[in-house]
Amino acid sequence: MGTAVKPETEGKQRLSDWRMAVKSATYVLATLAMLAPCGLENAHAQIRAKADVSCQPAEKLQYDCIIKLANARTSEPLSGLTLTVGADMPSMPAAHNMRPVKATEEQDKGTYRARIALEMYGDWALRLELSGTVRDRVVKLLRFESDRVGEATPAPGRHRH
Amino acid sequence: MDDYLIGVLSNIGVISFVALSAYLLLLTGEISFGQQAFFAIGAYAAGIATALWGWSLAAALVWGAAVSGGAALLVGVPTLRLHGLYFAIATLAFAEMVRILFELFRYQISIDGELIGPNGTDGFRNIRYIFDHNIDAFQFLLLIYSLLAAAMLGLLLLERSRLGVIFRMIGQDETLAELQGIPVARRKVLAAGIAGTLAGIGGGLYAHLTTYVEPRIFDIMLGVHSLAYGLIGGLGTAFGPLLGVLIDIGLLESIRALAGYRMIIFGGLVALLLIVRPRGLLDEMVVHKIGRGWRRVSLWARRSSLKPRGNSA
Amino acid sequence: MIDLVQNTLDGVMIGSSYGLLALGFTLIFGVMRRLDLAYGPSIMIGGYFGTVLYLYYGAGPLAVASAVVLGAVIAGIYVERLCFAPMKAGAAIASMVSSFAIWMQLEQAAILVLPRHTYPFPPLATVAPLEFGPFLVRVDHLIMLVCALALAAAVHLALYHTRFGLALRAIIGSPVAAHLVGINVRTAVLLTFAGASAVGGAAGFLVLAVDQQVTPMFGMWATLKGLIAMMIGGLGSVPGAVVGGLLLGIVEVNSQWYFGPQIRDLVAYVVLFAFLVVRPRGLLGRAPEPAMPPKA
Repeated sequence: MGTAVKPETEGKQRLSDWRMAVKSATYVLATLAMLAPCGLENAHAQIRAKADVSCQPAEKLQYDCIIKLANARTSEPLSGLTLTVGADMPSMPAAHNMRPVKATEEQDKGTYRARIALEMYGDWALRLELSGTVRDRVVKLLRFESDRVGEATPAPGRHRH
Repeated sequence: MDDYLIGVLSNIGVISFVALSAYLLLLTGEISFGQQAFFAIGAYAAGIATALWGWSLAAALVWGAAVSGGAALLVGVPTLRLHGLYFAIATLAFAEMVRILFELFRYQISIDGELIGPNGTDGFRNIRYIFDHNIDAFQFLLLIYSLLAAAMLGLLLLERSRLGVIFRMIGQDETLAELQGIPVARRKVLAAGIAGTLAGIGGGLYAHLTTYVEPRIFDIMLGVHSLAYGLIGGLGTAFGPLLGVLIDIGLLESIRALAGYRMIIFGGLVALLLIVRPRGLLDEMVVHKIGRGWRRVSLWARRSSLKPRGNSA
Repeated sequence: MIDLVQNTLDGVMIGSSYGLLALGFTLIFGVMRRLDLAYGPSIMIGGYFGTVLYLYYGAGPLAVASAVVLGAVIAGIYVERLCFAPMKAGAAIASMVSSFAIWMQLEQAAILVLPRHTYPFPPLATVAPLEFGPFLVRVDHLIMLVCALALAAAVHLALYHTRFGLALRAIIGSPVAAHLVGINVRTAVLLTFAGASAVGGAAGFLVLAVDQQVTPMFGMWATLKGLIAMMIGGLGSVPGAVVGGLLLGIVEVNSQWYFGPQIRDLVAYVVLFAFLVVRPRGLLGRAPEPAMPPKA
């Protein structure tokens, strides 16, 4: 790239810059448009689930969790579903996550049990993935400590630390 | 494909957008610790569009991209005068401001008797589009990767176009570029806008993938990570940041056996890698050599397929 | 009005530790022209050394302080050897990302050894706060202020009245010229790192003792505060670091008093951003040159 660009060629080249930008934008929009119809089918409301989670510390960094699943609207227990429990650390979404474990259903309808193993103490977002007759996901934020599991209150403005 | 693998691949795909975003700015010579702000803006905007306003996913993603791109253009202007460290810190400050603003942001609507919407530090739950519309995990994975492929195509075309060369020129030496007649300020703002849009698309996808976002997710860690991906994978090509993401998240998942020591090993590996390859694995030299090798091979192929004409080789 | 003065008093005292953190940062940046993202975490490692001493051996504040400084220095030297020394002249971004990787490494190492959310730290003083008319002054805050000012003065002395300080200022001015004059730049840089980590360790000890706890998040917090204070006060300026720290402290305490902790953080960043856009050199810094060497 030696000398400065002459005005006429500058105009042509700016046009080609624009053309290229428009081309890329069209690719993106075309892709989006092609996939839009996927979303338009089955636009009616599915069954929503709500979950009640209580975890107790078992061994070091392992917890036994009892999860009660119910229909969010009718509060009817949801039984016979496949429940997988995963965990993410909110402050590091892709790292520090736990390989999902399958929960087993207990005697009581709608009650499931899972043993989870975490990497460290702190706030974890449990991801309850339901599949089977009902497909849904419920996220519960809990604080896991060495001796107890409680509500996680995302500290506003971290009192200093 | 089991659900777990789909989940990991989806994560890789979404994070790649932020990595590409930081990479684009790195090309123009600017270090940005703040691309996670546009990721956040894209996520919230797209999530609000589907969960509160009932838009379709496609419209919501475009909206998210537009809002974050616009925000990036707005921020790009006052920071034009800044270079190097000053610019980096400014982006960091901006990103933290955005994050704290989301901690204070409350916008809830009652739908079917339930309050839906961003609720400050509690975050934004129930972005349930993919469940309400019966999109399964694999379909969403395809969506993520088609958009990523489109973005990559755009970036690769950019690299070979005049605009791409202009970006790299600005990255090498701004004064020289200005002397060549390039309107540096306008190009840098353009780069900032494109980068912000990329991060915004990723954010919109992320919000729908996880159905739950909170301000904590969009902290400095995410920002420095996205910068690191470009640097680890290589700054020579748009595949570099993808490689970086793959190495980080892919490796992170596979070294599960050493779960507690993962960061220690990975951190050490990155530090050592950067000593040997300060511009990443696929840095400009490697890409150039690959390009040269490819040209040699295709020239040889072409020559051997030509019929010999008299004495010429 | 009384609130404002009380807050400003508190702010000055808290700000003195911010100033110390910024001081360490400025020293490293001055000689290296690179940002050490692992600075806060290395101080945190020092903090963990200190808490172990306190928790398992019941040591007193002075012993704990020494442990904190020692830990910070060890971590600082580790960072310097791995992230900064081996890098070629132009690889500034690589150093930064490398220091970030080590930040993650140090944080995880600390959590592995001491996995709980918070660990106790000995207090600086257990007497009741002093009263000056309508104003309350906590004794431990006062100790922090005095120590911080003393340390800042010591650094100033070292920089301007010793041969080593002269060598440092030469390197800050121009590393190449310093090398040509016969200064062993690499050794000087290593020693500066150690010194800056020591200063940071002292600052860390003061903050942790006032807070009476150390958490794994301390690393990021310290890095951010030091960074903001340094940029406000002026990059590469020793008095600027102190002034920036004091100003940040005053602004923070007042914002928190009137608007709450989230606004406090928000205001700190807004001030930083405003300074960068309007006056990047900060209050006392030199006009910014291309802050980082040409890209590599």
